[in-house]
Amino acid sequence: MENREPLLHVEHLCKRFPVESGVFGRGAKRYVHAVDDISFDIYPGETFGLVGESGCGKSTTGRCIMRLIEPTSGTVIFDGQDVSQLKGKDLKKMRHDMQYIFQDPYASLNPRMTIGEIVSEPLVIHGEMTDKAERMDHVRHLLDIVGLNPEHINRYPHEFSGGQRQRVGIARAFALRPKLIICDEPVSALDVSIQAQVLNLLKDLQAEFGTAYLFIAHDLSVVQHISDRVAVMYLGNLMEYSDWKTLYDEPHHPYTQSLLSAVPVPDPDVQHSRKRIILPGDPPSPIDPPSGCRFHTRCPIAQKQCSETKPELREVCPGHFCACHCAAVNPIKETSIEL
Amino acid sequence: MGLFGKKKRALDPADDLKNQPVPEGSHLLEVDDLKMYFHTQDGVVKAVDGVSYTLDRGETLGVVGESGSGKSVTHMTIMGLIDMPPGKIEGGDIRYRGHSLLEMTEEQMQHIRGNDIAMIFQDPMTSLNPVYTIGRQLGEGLRLHRGYSKEQALQRAVELLDMVGIPNPEQRVKDYPHQFSGGMRQRVMIAMALACDPDILIADEPTTALDVTIQAQIIELMQEMQKKNGNAIVMITHDLGVVADVADKIMVMYAGHPVEFGTAEEIFYNPVHPYTWGLIRSIPKPAGDEKESLTPIEGNPPSLVNLPAGCPFSPRCPYATDRCRTEMPELYVTETGHYSRCHFSGDAAFVAKNAPANSRSAAPANAEEGGEA
Repeated sequence: MENREPLLHVEHLCKRFPVESGVFGRGAKRYVHAVDDISFDIYPGETFGLVGESGCGKSTTGRCIMRLIEPTSGTVIFDGQDVSQLKGKDLKKMRHDMQYIFQDPYASLNPRMTIGEIVSEPLVIHGEMTDKAERMDHVRHLLDIVGLNPEHINRYPHEFSGGQRQRVGIARAFALRPKLIICDEPVSALDVSIQAQVLNLLKDLQAEFGTAYLFIAHDLSVVQHISDRVAVMYLGNLMEYSDWKTLYDEPHHPYTQSLLSAVPVPDPDVQHSRKRIILPGDPPSPIDPPSGCRFHTRCPIAQKQCSETKPELREVCPGHFCACHCAAVNPIKETSIEL
Repeated sequence: MGLFGKKKRALDPADDLKNQPVPEGSHLLEVDDLKMYFHTQDGVVKAVDGVSYTLDRGETLGVVGESGSGKSVTHMTIMGLIDMPPGKIEGGDIRYRGHSLLEMTEEQMQHIRGNDIAMIFQDPMTSLNPVYTIGRQLGEGLRLHRGYSKEQALQRAVELLDMVGIPNPEQRVKDYPHQFSGGMRQRVMIAMALACDPDILIADEPTTALDVTIQAQIIELMQEMQKKNGNAIVMITHDLGVVADVADKIMVMYAGHPVEFGTAEEIFYNPVHPYTWGLIRSIPKPAGDEKESLTPIEGNPPSLVNLPAGCPFSPRCPYATDRCRTEMPELYVTETGHYSRCHFSGDAAFVAKNAPANSRSAAPANAEEGGEA
């Protein structure tokens, strides 16, 4: 995998949102450090999972990559092009190859458009298939692929259930056969049985079209199920990333380990026998984040240096990166996860 | 000291139902064939159709199902929180310590709610009143049910906040809900529900809106409180993982019907209803060398106005026969009280062939291999 050219290369990506403070904004300017210096690569055809708690900056990362919001600094190279420098036509062309699936299937479809119009809109915008009959044929084909009845092409979103709407969103994302799809929590609004349907659909489509996914979610078991490689984010920083199996078997970062141990397993025997690491408190505010390692305020094994210097991401084994001064396999030894 | 200046009878805790013994032969809470229908313009919505279970002190019941399966409506009915009309109880009974809740007057129910049976709602952001301080909201139940003075209530509110692990409680009682994070608001909700030391705590998706590390904190807190107070918990959730963590008994609901009910052991290691199997197969397995592909339940949940004939699960059930599509299955009940609403639950060969593998069904085989080696 290392020898291949990455499809997406993200380097030192930062996004800060200014917060107005004081009356009439006269106070000192402060920032929400939503994404703070993160770097990773995505290779063609793979699924890269990005997991973290709410407010850790995972969606902001996805949006910065697509330039739905402007990154503060850093470079994003997609398919050999520096995305951050693109303007106008070039930017539009880039978005032809990079599509987005949104979390909320109720809010991301225009209620006044039929699903045929919704799915064909990317084609219209990019001037492909100008012949309407041909376009509609393609849309019917897409609806069929995602498991919707092609005869429903003239129906409106409100006539569909949540899972079906998410399928419409997926059909729209695949309309242009993109190289990369950013899936921002695509299943978290769905019931378990429907969630499994959509996950399987995404996997099947990837097998068929070879699309790469950036899969953003808060549910670790979902991310591990679908991803080839998984990255863990906390307060705007990447804490650890590696292939899914290593991350599961040999978590090096205490945060990853506590996340893994907090995921409830649907098996009472396992659930009652394993030890759980319950992190104290809430994640700190991304305005004035903690000094040094962002996690040290909640970390069960924090040392003095953790609050002073920020640990760099370093390669603990080939392809496995971890940002922790004390990184070791299952660092929280006494409470290591037994499965 | 009624809220509207009405003088009420003196509040004597000895009169509370929760301080009276459970009559011989009854359980703490008995729900018996409860039916709650909504009469709407589109037709009759059978939101709850024949729910039965029993609950005792110290027990935790997990109620699992997809959205719209009736799990919340069942428990809103128990609390008397459903507007009637459009809701109408079409049959069945709810007995708390042998007393029927359905026959109680509104005034009696007012006293039960919060005092004997308390509820935690899913969304801590919307279930706290933004214009009152946390202390005032925490003390409201105590003033109403126990006749505490303002000062006593505030004093107790500080203790309650401390009990649920909120730092600096003396200061925090004066704060407003927006000054708390999501996890802390849910802790406040738990403190509020436990304020009057209720017999039964109904938690409706208490952790769904929370992050996984915060979810773990809240679940632990609820279990700790249960150990201390000995109350019963009804945990309504769609997450089988949470249920595996806390529940002694589990009820699986589908389209207003309880399709399977049993102990946690029975539901996870010996499930007999195809819908329960489907739920178990739909969850990504966290461990394993190879990724097993998920087996989702095909199709969508039915509309409650227009339920399919026969078994409501039959359109999505991979094992459905013509009989399933025409005939509503009877309850199949075992000696242990494990029940299932499926024509084939009694067919051991059918269950053995189609039930999903679990850690226990795999374990004996390994043990045998180990023994031979």
